[in-house]
Amino acid sequence: MAVIKEKAEFCTLLVDELYGQLPARVYATLFQRGKLSTRLISQFSKLSPRQVKNGLCVLQQHNLLFYSIDANSGEAEYSVNHEYAYNLVRAGKILEMVDNSYGPAGRDVMQNLLLLGQTRISDLVAAYQAKINLANDENAWLNDKKPDLVIKSKAQLNSVLCRLIEAELIDVVHSKTFKSVHEIEKQVHKEVMEFYFPNGMKGTKAKIEFEQKVAEGLRKVREESKTLKRKLAQNGGASKRRKLAVGNETNGAPEEEEDLDPALDPRQVIRINYEKCIVELRSRRLVQYVNDTLGETTGYVYGQLLKQLTKNTPRCRPDPLMDTLMSDEEKQTPSVTTNEILDKVKTSIDLTLGIGKIPSKSISKTAAERLTPLAPRDKIPFMNQDDSDDDDEDGDYSDSDEEMDTKKENGDAPVARMSRPEQLRQHLLRLAESQPGFVRHCGEDEWTIDFKPLMENLRATELDSIIEQTSGRQGLRLTRILRTKGKLGEQALQSLSLMRKVDLQQKMLEMRLAGFAHTQEVPRDNKADPKKSIFLWYCDTEQAYSSLIAKCYATMVHCLQVLEVRRQKEKDVLSLAKRTNVKGKEKDMMRDESYARFAKFLKDERLLMAEIMRIDDTLALLQDF
Amino acid sequence: MAADRGKIQILKDALYEAARDHGSDQRLFTQRDLLDMQVIPQDNLALLMQVIQVLCDEKLFVGNTTASGLSWRWRSREDAKKYTSLPNPETMLVYAIIDEAGADGIWNRTIKNKLNMADSLMKHCIKYLEQKGYIASMKNVEHPNKKMYIKANLRPSDRATGGPWFTEGELDTAFINELQEIVFDFIKQKSTYTSHGGAAGTTGGQGGGAQREKVPKKGVVQGTIPSHSEDVSSKGTKRSAGEISNDDTAAAAAPVKKTRPSKPQLLPLPAGYKSYPTVSDIAKFIHHAGITNNTTLSEADIQQLVDVLYYDGLVEPVKVNGRKGYRVTRIPKQDPRTCNQRRLDHDPTKGGIITSFMGVEPSASGLMEAPCGRCPVFDMCEEGGPVSPSNCVYFRQWLDGDEVKEQVISI
Repeated sequence: MAVIKEKAEFCTLLVDELYGQLPARVYATLFQRGKLSTRLISQFSKLSPRQVKNGLCVLQQHNLLFYSIDANSGEAEYSVNHEYAYNLVRAGKILEMVDNSYGPAGRDVMQNLLLLGQTRISDLVAAYQAKINLANDENAWLNDKKPDLVIKSKAQLNSVLCRLIEAELIDVVHSKTFKSVHEIEKQVHKEVMEFYFPNGMKGTKAKIEFEQKVAEGLRKVREESKTLKRKLAQNGGASKRRKLAVGNETNGAPEEEEDLDPALDPRQVIRINYEKCIVELRSRRLVQYVNDTLGETTGYVYGQLLKQLTKNTPRCRPDPLMDTLMSDEEKQTPSVTTNEILDKVKTSIDLTLGIGKIPSKSISKTAAERLTPLAPRDKIPFMNQDDSDDDDEDGDYSDSDEEMDTKKENGDAPVARMSRPEQLRQHLLRLAESQPGFVRHCGEDEWTIDFKPLMENLRATELDSIIEQTSGRQGLRLTRILRTKGKLGEQALQSLSLMRKVDLQQKMLEMRLAGFAHTQEVPRDNKADPKKSIFLWYCDTEQAYSSLIAKCYATMVHCLQVLEVRRQKEKDVLSLAKRTNVKGKEKDMMRDESYARFAKFLKDERLLMAEIMRIDDTLALLQDF
Repeated sequence: MAADRGKIQILKDALYEAARDHGSDQRLFTQRDLLDMQVIPQDNLALLMQVIQVLCDEKLFVGNTTASGLSWRWRSREDAKKYTSLPNPETMLVYAIIDEAGADGIWNRTIKNKLNMADSLMKHCIKYLEQKGYIASMKNVEHPNKKMYIKANLRPSDRATGGPWFTEGELDTAFINELQEIVFDFIKQKSTYTSHGGAAGTTGGQGGGAQREKVPKKGVVQGTIPSHSEDVSSKGTKRSAGEISNDDTAAAAAPVKKTRPSKPQLLPLPAGYKSYPTVSDIAKFIHHAGITNNTTLSEADIQQLVDVLYYDGLVEPVKVNGRKGYRVTRIPKQDPRTCNQRRLDHDPTKGGIITSFMGVEPSASGLMEAPCGRCPVFDMCEEGGPVSPSNCVYFRQWLDGDEVKEQVISI
């Protein structure tokens, strides 16, 4: 699969930053040359075979590689798993998310998995056991303070692991994990051909059947990583285990004999499932978006709704090959009822907040409660959205003529107190009425979210805010006009935007340079005299997205490069800080001047890393959510 | 013959009056229409011809050729008098062409091309007509450099003047901006709910519940987001905040931490609100406020203004029962003060050039915060090139503040 240059560069730098120069060099070679055997890697990268093997080992451990055995030579060939490499940058966000939803214990386990790469369960348990033993060994901590362990017992580890696996945040490594999508596809193709169509296939009917079988096969492969989850489900729900864990905690003394859940085979190798993590990150982003547009209480309600709707969503974007051919009932978007949400809303949240109080007289119940049972058809964002709005309601249009004044006069009238479910419904209805379509009221008291159009809207909003920051509000105005109306000449643009001709031309030029607007020349006759030609302005949103994505990667690359430059500059101070007698006591051990430089470097590092995270927010929205 | 002339004279007047009764001076009458007026006896075509000829000579009728044949329209007696008072046929031709162009006016080059007339002669004619006060020169916003003429007693059309947004041929941006702010404030006021944040800000046990009934000038006081403990006490719920499972601290953390001192805050209105201001509401408001005393703004003009606000991302349309109203976007972030108030409160010494007092700042994006987001040489920047991240001035400024001002590029 083709990777854009900026992304390749960034992934290599990231590997360099996290795992050192050797793996980074191997990785860079693989990015440049594609699939290679060890022999070729060492040839191209000018590293000794032994070094290459070490490098590959580190990369493999963190699942950054795919490999396949070449049938002819019998050699293993390696290629990059750039999605995983990129996901490394999200580690911080994922940990924060897990910390928020599963507590510090969950974060600790996730952090270890991030550090270790894929890990056998028995190894993980052993590592924790060693730590716990050490902490319990009173003799070891005579002088120092006893460290506060996040995970205090094996049972707790067990319950945390089970919860994370059930949430699909952790899944199992299996034989096909290290095969690229393409490779797996090829194999499934072959298997299906051999098994179902030994005599070759003829006709369109067979072709469709073939495709279905392939999709089925691929899905089976995909499901393989969920074996642990299934096994856990068979052995009883999480509630039972959780009870056990809580019991142990209150007892205080860790019970050594409490063993792992039988379903957790200690030989299984586990890893972090980024796909699901990204779904969770998407939910967070959406809540932020609602906070911004409708307020925080509504945002909280939306967060609860999202949590329930995405419980079984394995990935943000369904795979075109595997998920399109699913039967209709499987495809159906999940929905939740008001009561289901209410059960999850914390009692401390006052749902009356966040929405204005007005007498029910000035609210049209029919309009607010309108149901939209069908998902919207795919449409181009911004293209005359309101025109296609169904105007089928005969409606109580006349009664709205009392208008404005009612609000002023009746504002003082006491507002009837609503029941809590009703308050919750108010938030949900407001979400449903919102412009980006946060929620769809799909049935009486049933709510669902159409992610595809919603994310499309969110992407457009992000683009808008970037345009607004680069070219100002007038620039935004012009792009939005072009997006709504299509291609326009300058005259028309001028009258729609109410801008002076000079200002308009300058702004358009600015945006042309920034890549947000483009021109098209339409000659009037065969001679194509430029003086007589018509010039039309237009916006190519897709192109704007892709150039923005490239720009994001490039900026992240720059951040890492600047960081490296800084590191080189402060090399002496940093090496000093690394010394064992200085480490941890930098302030006391180092001279003031050195310490100031050291502190400044740490500050810069934090800033640059935070910046990369923030750019990733934009990037994730544009390409992953 | 004399008797004939007298008869034609009478018939002429009768036909003219009949035509005036049957329609405006824009209506075209065909021969059939004129005969059907029952003025000419016995549908005598020859007689009709003679009568029309006389009317045309006296400039009371104007001939037209359309796809369906010849037709005529009438011209008022005053206008006809102007024509007859002109000294020569050339002037008359020029005047006729300007007359025909109507409120849009006509370019002098077009006149020349149409008449194929000598330059000096035409100039002479135009000078004469201008002196007489029959025509006037005008400016067209679409073609500001062309010299155009229009009949003196006509007002230039909106197309020519550019509508109410133009003052003397120039787009009046100050006026537009001012009006936009007013419209925006109006929509903001009508489409949001002002919460005075009593519950959150008050100290001394006044919970949200107690404050909720107090009535400020508009609407009911509504707390922002109360803190945990206040909320719990006011609602009388039994559970304390600490008991909550850690399942959703993520989302909960956000609403809880907000305990701003009592500061008015805008809140969205519930779904199905019927009175979001429509364009006609806004037009009515503008009209009654008397802001635009010498220009009248039609609903279409206001629509144009609101559309611009929509394209700016400041307002959004919302349809309730087929009634299309407008509301502001990103309500919780909006400043409850009016644009003018914000301008007065703004302290220019504090830095930050504010281009508009409408709406909110665009939400920050990581890309734009980094120096690369606004870098003018971004495309050239590469390690090993003349401009590279390692010698980037912008990054240095960003990380170190302004303290470093060394020599920048050393190739």
